Amino acid sequence: MSLWIVLGIIVLIGLWLVSVYNGLVGGRNTAQTAWSQIDVQLKRRHDLIPNLVQVVKDAMGYEQETLTKVIAARNAAVAASGPAQAGPAEAALTQATRGLLGLVESYPQLKANDNVKQLQEELTTTENKIAFARQYYNDSVNTYNTRRLSFPAVLAAASLGFGPIDLFNMPEAEREVPKVALR
Amino acid sequence: MSGTTDFAAAQRVNRRNTFVLLLALTLIAALVGYLIGWALEGTVTDVVPAWSAAGLVAAALMAAASLCWSAVSLAFGDRMVLTMSGARQIEKTDAPVLYNVVDEMSVAAGQPMPRVMVLDTDLLNAFATGNTARSGTIVVTRGLIEKLSRDELQGVVAHEMAHLANLDTRYMTVVGVTVGLIALVADMILRTLNWGGSVNARSSSGKKDSSGGAAVLLIIVLIVVAIFAPLAAKAVQMAVSRQREYLADATSVQFTRNPNGLISALQKLDQNAAPFPGVSHATQHLFIVNPVQHFTADTPALLATHPDIADRIARLRNMGG
Repeated sequence: MSLWIVLGIIVLIGLWLVSVYNGLVGGRNTAQTAWSQIDVQLKRRHDLIPNLVQVVKDAMGYEQETLTKVIAARNAAVAASGPAQAGPAEAALTQATRGLLGLVESYPQLKANDNVKQLQEELTTTENKIAFARQYYNDSVNTYNTRRLSFPAVLAAASLGFGPIDLFNMPEAEREVPKVALR
Repeated sequence: MSGTTDFAAAQRVNRRNTFVLLLALTLIAALVGYLIGWALEGTVTDVVPAWSAAGLVAAALMAAASLCWSAVSLAFGDRMVLTMSGARQIEKTDAPVLYNVVDEMSVAAGQPMPRVMVLDTDLLNAFATGNTARSGTIVVTRGLIEKLSRDELQGVVAHEMAHLANLDTRYMTVVGVTVGLIALVADMILRTLNWGGSVNARSSSGKKDSSGGAAVLLIIVLIVVAIFAPLAAKAVQMAVSRQREYLADATSVQFTRNPNGLISALQKLDQNAAPFPGVSHATQHLFIVNPVQHFTADTPALLATHPDIADRIARLRNMGG
């Protein structure tokens, strides 16, 4: 009789561990997939920027300070890896990119250029996708980290090998740059 | 805007609701099938059977019919709607901004990118169809692409992506089938009673009917149920539809973090909403703004597919717009 009770308790604990484990695995996978989406969009931005810089340089006939800044920021961002390093580098690149888009806005001959227009839209959508992918990544990480630290999962999470995941932070300073009106 | 991935919870609730509805739908159909078979056997043999074989056969037939109807609606409903609307699929080069905005919203929702289609009309409207984001389609009118700013377009597309991410389209398909089946079955009950009643009248004229009073009462109850059940079911369907609109507006803001885009888009859509070819009462509930009827705070709300736009905008403003 008491053997069955002990066995029942063991089975219950086992089932509970399985559900905690599956929940945490699901959360971690969502976060990892979300990070790879950010990565895709960041690479896309790294590829797009030299094109736009080239087209702007050709159209203007000379290399402006904004352009060298963008390229420098871009190269720094390419070199960075992982959420902690990439955050500040990508934030700087976002700021530099806005400068570049602002430059395009202020030159009518650039705005009229079809090549520039197309690249401008591509860069805009990539900027948005980075922001949205980051938003989704941070949401999933928050959900995962909260689940990890909630009772009673917190009792088992660490021993099952589920550590906390870093948020992808871009420093707040970028938001103070006036928004470029794109239409 | 409490939890950050609220739409995952909305998906879970919708999945469960879809399942419960399907089950209830099948049970109702089976029960009504049994009742009809039972009544038929009773009137033909002139003996009220305690256990009806014909009823069991009819119940099985009705259950099978309801499952088939649901399965067919889920599998082909979106294609039928798309064909009826006359929308055409586009590639990125046809409308790069629209295509990019849909792509952005699928990133924000963490979902695969749905197909993008355009309806060739100057009017402003949009809808989504399909069971999931992967197999789904977002349809917008040409007028919407031309007259809305990027932010406004983003708000509208986010609303449609929210319907897909929340699995609303699937849920509403099953709700629609339930309501249709209840209407059909109520109609069948009324017809059966009509027929059965005349048979009873003929047979009871020669015999003594001891249970006459109870039978009349039962028939009156059945008639009342058959008349009011479809109306009540329709009211429930519309209430669910309005709730899903509010939820999609909220999820849209969760995706874009910019209520102003959707607010000003809704204002423009409200001024320009009008019926156009390919839209009927069968598809009106799909659109972001009802293209057939115009709802204001004064319209009786019980049978409205969409909430009042002013109310939707007020709720969006509360989110910090």
